[in-house]
Amino acid sequence: MSGVTHSIGFGRLSAWLLRQLSRPGASLLSLASGGLVLAILWAVADWLVLSAVPPLADPAACAEAAGACWPFWAEKSRFILFGTYPFDEQWRPMLVSLLLLGLSIATGQMAVSGRWPDMRLFAGLWLAGMAASFALMGGDILGLVPVDATKWNGLPILLILSTIALALALPVGVLLALARYQTRHRLLHRAAGAYVEIMRGVPMVTLLFVGVFVLPLTLPKGMAIDPIVAVLIALVFFHAAYFAEDVRSGLMALPAGQQEAASSLGLGFWQSARLVLLPQAIERAMPALVNSTIGAYKDTSLVVILGLHDLSATARMAFSDVAWGNQALEAYVFVGVWFLVSCSYLSWIGRRLAARATQGRKRSA
Amino acid sequence: MDRNLQAPHVPQDGPPKAGSAVSLADIGVGLPILAAFAVIAFNVHSNMLAAGIQPGFAFLTQQAGFDLSETLIPYGADDSYLRAILAGLANTVVVAAASLVIASLAGLLIGLLSVSASPVARYLALAYIELFRNLPKILVLLIIFVAAVNGLPTIRQALVLGPFTISNRAIYLPWLSQDPRNTLWLVASLVLVCALIWLWARHATRRQALTGRRMPVLPVAFVLCLTVPAVLALALGAPLGLSWPALAGFSVEGGVALSIQFCTVAVALGLYHGAQIAEVLRGGIEAVPKGQVEAAAALGLKGGQTTRLIVMPQVLRTVVPPLNNQFANLLKNTSISIAVGYSDLMSVAGTAINQTFRPLETMLITMSIYLLLCVALTGVLNHWSGRTRAREGRSGR
Repeated sequence: MSGVTHSIGFGRLSAWLLRQLSRPGASLLSLASGGLVLAILWAVADWLVLSAVPPLADPAACAEAAGACWPFWAEKSRFILFGTYPFDEQWRPMLVSLLLLGLSIATGQMAVSGRWPDMRLFAGLWLAGMAASFALMGGDILGLVPVDATKWNGLPILLILSTIALALALPVGVLLALARYQTRHRLLHRAAGAYVEIMRGVPMVTLLFVGVFVLPLTLPKGMAIDPIVAVLIALVFFHAAYFAEDVRSGLMALPAGQQEAASSLGLGFWQSARLVLLPQAIERAMPALVNSTIGAYKDTSLVVILGLHDLSATARMAFSDVAWGNQALEAYVFVGVWFLVSCSYLSWIGRRLAARATQGRKRSA
Repeated sequence: MDRNLQAPHVPQDGPPKAGSAVSLADIGVGLPILAAFAVIAFNVHSNMLAAGIQPGFAFLTQQAGFDLSETLIPYGADDSYLRAILAGLANTVVVAAASLVIASLAGLLIGLLSVSASPVARYLALAYIELFRNLPKILVLLIIFVAAVNGLPTIRQALVLGPFTISNRAIYLPWLSQDPRNTLWLVASLVLVCALIWLWARHATRRQALTGRRMPVLPVAFVLCLTVPAVLALALGAPLGLSWPALAGFSVEGGVALSIQFCTVAVALGLYHGAQIAEVLRGGIEAVPKGQVEAAAALGLKGGQTTRLIVMPQVLRTVVPPLNNQFANLLKNTSISIAVGYSDLMSVAGTAINQTFRPLETMLITMSIYLLLCVALTGVLNHWSGRTRAREGRSGR
């Protein structure tokens, strides 16, 4: 058979055809899904380019056009990013966003390369970054104009509530994991366990409500707390439980000999945890930690329910503008692209770490 | 001398007791925590009294005074807060069940496509998974909600597609006409059919274990599904008329209405968790070694038998724990429906907080309910999956 096709000169094509005909199910599936892919690609291209209104065209044309309204993006991108922050001061949220993005990407790259600098310096950098973010956003020092927290909108609020909450939640989570891992102090062990399980059994939205409505009640009379700080605290306590579970699973996966060897060297609990157990446990838990980070980062946008204006809220504000009432899809696509890009970067880190973990296991086996 | 040779006193009643459960260090940790709680409790109490509110749960019996857009159990603005919370709970359970069905179907379809023989279908499935794994669920929900409200026709120009009447306010389906006998018939048939199929399946499994002969399960189940409702309908004398939705002025009468909020939450969570379930399934199927399928072929098993007897049990073993996790997450994630105004437990709680200014009590109740729901769901799922796994373990040997 192959000889015949060869003599005709369409060897590979007809071999391919024969292969397709020998399994009609798969070929039909290919055809159907190929058609679907083409239809989707065509619809996207049509919306983005063919039927779209070009960026420099008159925005009035958007009302009739079936495609995307590029003038909307040209006009409203800055608003979606920074919201109602005073226009002349918008370099401040931009600086904050760049600062937090830079810190996060630096952390991500270190996780991928596996080379960590001095931990104290690193933690200090993060703390300085957090303080600088709040100082820059709020102003009222160094001659910066004070800006009310209700005007902190868009990207900086998303980044503050995700990166800062996650950076603070990690140490809390590690402490919780250690408290649950040790069995000497049973009360502490049980309390940490109960805390983690309760946090993991309730939705994040309920925690946000607790932060915004219950937390102010627990303060002494006369003290007030900004909703952003309240939500930040709630997020730290919520994410810490998930991190604790990841780190604990890493601790549980360690051979018992590690702890015993550390004890026989005369290391105390904190020394053995810091020098022997945690480095290995966190290394093992890294893929799970990255997964939790992605989930937590995406869930940060739930703060829109509490009336904090992150990206999806500023997007909604952008198309609530009467002149741009039909551009809801454009606004949400803008936000969606941001999340697709940032989450893809995080997933890439996760895949690299998982690949390194399997490699390491193969090498040691 | 003699005394040295004496056997030491060994207690005869079991192993030595562990030291006391509370050590000094425990007290050192416990006391500050207790003190912090005491300060917080004092602050809460004084803050609430200052606002003129007596802490406590007595408000639950007061009249709620707000209406819910849709309820499964009878509820009106005159009913108590407790009833409002129960109505919200019922809505949460229903929307969770609906999105669970959608998520399972979508996950199964996409998961199978992602391991299919066709490369195009595989890429399509992977693109779907990646898209939904990298978008926040609230964004998915908001996009679908905006698309539905702007894209679907208004109620006066409602789209009639076969049995469905679709508008941007609700989707209407024909439903059994309002008659107590109809409701009784529906519930009785459901319970009876499920119970009978379960009994027959158990009987068939036992027979097979005893005699090695397989008994027909699917055909019997099919016959049961047809005959039991018919017999019940005759016995109860249920009229079984269908009420069709029809446009009447500014609204649609008859049938059953699924509000657009309900539909969008169910679809958004279904699509979102469908991607996660598909990913779990893909991992589980790819984890089955190829040699297993080849060995099954060598034994002469047919394609369907290989899937059912060789591949599926091994897939289930790896897939069931993460799937249970997914279902629990889905249940918790229904709380985002407050963003589109579906009256679930969370949005009832939000309204109650705004009206009574009792965030502490309301959130305690709400979080306990979610926790209980979650524990109950994972408990049932783990119990069930533990049994399946135990059964596989026995037959595997």
